[in-house]
Amino acid sequence: MIFHSLDFAIFFVLVVPLYWTLPHRGQNLLLLAASAVFYGWIHPWLLSLVATVALVTYASGLGMEIWPSRRKTFLWFGVFVTFGVLGAFKYFGFFAENVAAALSLAGLRVPRPALSLVLPAGISFYTFQAVTYPIDVYFGRMRARRSLVDVAAFVSFFPSLLAGPIMRASTLLPQIEGVRRFSAAAARDATLLLAWGLFKKLVIADNVGVIANKVFALREPEFHVLWAGVFAFAVQIYADFSSYADIARAVARWLGIDLVRNFDHPYLAASPAEFWQRWHISLSTWFRDYVFLPVAYRISGRLTAEKRFGLDAATRAYAGGIMVTMLAAGLWHGAGWNYVLWGGYHGVLLALARLLAPRRGRRRRARRWLRPARAAGMFALTAIGWLFFRETDGSMILRDLALSPFQASALGRQTGAYLFFLAGLYSIPLWIDSLWSKLGGPSLTAAMAREDARLDGRLVAAQALLAGTLVAGALTLHATTSLDFIYFRF
Amino acid sequence: MPSSGSPRRQRLSLAAVILGAAIVPFGLRAVNAVTRPPGAEPSYIPSVESPRVRGPFDREAVEALREAANDVILIGDSMAGTRIHPGHLSRLMGGRGAAALFHPGSGPAYWYLTFKNLVVNAGLHPRTAVFFFRDENLTDTLFRVYPSALDRVARQREPVLDELLAARANGRYFRVHRILTRLYGHDQARAWLEPLIVRAPVAWSATRRARKRLLERINNEVFTLDALRPMAAADMASASGEALDFRRNLPTSVLPEILRLSHSSGIRVAFVRVQRRPGPDGPPPQSAALRAYVGALRAYLEENGALFHDDWGDPDQPLSIYEDGDHIAREYRLHCTELFFRKNPEVFR
Repeated sequence: MIFHSLDFAIFFVLVVPLYWTLPHRGQNLLLLAASAVFYGWIHPWLLSLVATVALVTYASGLGMEIWPSRRKTFLWFGVFVTFGVLGAFKYFGFFAENVAAALSLAGLRVPRPALSLVLPAGISFYTFQAVTYPIDVYFGRMRARRSLVDVAAFVSFFPSLLAGPIMRASTLLPQIEGVRRFSAAAARDATLLLAWGLFKKLVIADNVGVIANKVFALREPEFHVLWAGVFAFAVQIYADFSSYADIARAVARWLGIDLVRNFDHPYLAASPAEFWQRWHISLSTWFRDYVFLPVAYRISGRLTAEKRFGLDAATRAYAGGIMVTMLAAGLWHGAGWNYVLWGGYHGVLLALARLLAPRRGRRRRARRWLRPARAAGMFALTAIGWLFFRETDGSMILRDLALSPFQASALGRQTGAYLFFLAGLYSIPLWIDSLWSKLGGPSLTAAMAREDARLDGRLVAAQALLAGTLVAGALTLHATTSLDFIYFRF
Repeated sequence: MPSSGSPRRQRLSLAAVILGAAIVPFGLRAVNAVTRPPGAEPSYIPSVESPRVRGPFDREAVEALREAANDVILIGDSMAGTRIHPGHLSRLMGGRGAAALFHPGSGPAYWYLTFKNLVVNAGLHPRTAVFFFRDENLTDTLFRVYPSALDRVARQREPVLDELLAARANGRYFRVHRILTRLYGHDQARAWLEPLIVRAPVAWSATRRARKRLLERINNEVFTLDALRPMAAADMASASGEALDFRRNLPTSVLPEILRLSHSSGIRVAFVRVQRRPGPDGPPPQSAALRAYVGALRAYLEENGALFHDDWGDPDQPLSIYEDGDHIAREYRLHCTELFFRKNPEVFR
């Protein structure tokens, strides 16, 4: 089921009132049943996968508690089976293709795999979410749970099931276990967040998505047309993915559950590290905690303190750790070399930024006014990354990077300018939202975070007006072509 | 959880935001009232259209047709327009007239209304009316329901077409869409707001004509089917799924109504499926579903006494005669007219 569908609207209107009439255990059972309907709506067989993952992670946690001497065995059981499901469905074809290609380079003829598996929607998200449970139990961050219903509701929690945010067991499970009370303030803010999410998806992401799709369908786009298309894609992917996260958070809030924020105006970032603190936060912190820190720690343990290539041990450990992490993060996005390239590119950016940071530390503090220019520079670097991400054909990437603005035709320049401004026009609300946040404007959608907030009539009036304006905008300007959420395919 | 204000006030504030989300869009009606030109009237296809100012019916075309008393009437979109030269066809026919009622960017609703209002109900008696179409267009009633074109051929009320469009648009989604449209009138707001946005980036162009020309060039020269990657072009050119289920789409298509008019008026009808852009090595690829669709269409038409001709795979229409997309280059128009004449002897018998 997708959020911007009539099916989901009916589902939501039925589930929420019923949910609040039930006692706590009943609510959790309903959450589980609703998640099954939500996911099974795509295809019932998908339920077998999420059920397997839920059962395995539950058993793994329970095993660690019952047989403490075999904790490691149960940890690996949980991790291997969960990632095994992900690997089999997402990477089997990619792996087999590449092995066959490598062997054929060596002169060996290997038949291409006849088995082609369909990628189940959301599998990268719920497997990454589920695997935090055995890991956190193993490291003593939380105790194993006895209730299969609670663990299964955590693994399959429908608002974040298909495209995140990726919740940690230690964050979401206690909320599922705890008694929840309906908060009208939270629901009020969630309503505005829902309207904003729908607007971003239907008006911004889908309209600029049409531009990006058109440009990336061209055989030989000229320089200006190509980069206008890349700009459109940069807007599309942010609006599309953050809209899903907003709607997911809004729906969860209506159910009395707080999901983590997944985006914090990433295009305001002035450095690669800051970008990753603002972009897909739940995934980047997952990779930081479960991949980067262990890898960097292991690398630093093997390094000598003396400088190599003019780099101290800490910098070398960071560079090694970040490259491994970002290549893995790239591969997480899709079974394709372009995603690996995209991850590697960001790894290089992060490592370079770290190398250059000490030298310009003082200068940076002195020139805060340069921040807008640095943010624009970072946006340009991010856009180059989006080219690798969007373009699946390696030869096209090379061709695109070799394009010169000076060889473009007049029509190519005019078309590029037209598409750039059109994408810019559709994305104005997105930039206003970011600037509003940057200038310190009060958040209209964050009552849950404001423990001491008082009911402010002006705030409510502003919320009501804004929610209505967003609905009117979505009705009037929604794209005629409705595109799938981009991150569904990951 | 926040403890701001009393629970009652919090609930009221929630109700206020939900009401705001539902009520503020009514402001679009006020905007429409300001932006709408006077003279808006209920549409002739009210199931899918709100009241608006309609363009005039093309009475001059009816008069001209009546005066010419043609033997053959040709109906279609730019596919037919780039292939058939009516003057040359008349010469090939030995002086008996052929009139072309082509409208670029038109669809089956337009073709049906043209046949009904400009030919049958106008009392004309051509021997044959020929409809040109691509693949599954004939049974896709919602394809290109453009008011600017339809106004020229629609009467004050078009209940049959309205019923067909309503039936086609009768899913749950369309029902909700209709209710929301009637409530808020957002389609009218869209009618002026969307073109404003689409044209805004070329506002620097000096004249309206220059702006229009630039947008046309972007569409016709940059994003042509030719310029697309092969897979993208194939995807864009081919219909799939339910659109290719002939039996499913027939009851909500204009086809039975065209045949009924044909029988009642005694005007024979012929249908020509034009060939889409071929590849360098041969005719355009066809999916199994499309082949099955065309087979079912042919059988249905022939059962009902209509003529059917399929251009697909015609060796006399290689890639070299095509210009942009599925259009034929201007210099091959006469060639295609001759092909049409030669390969459809029954039409001219």
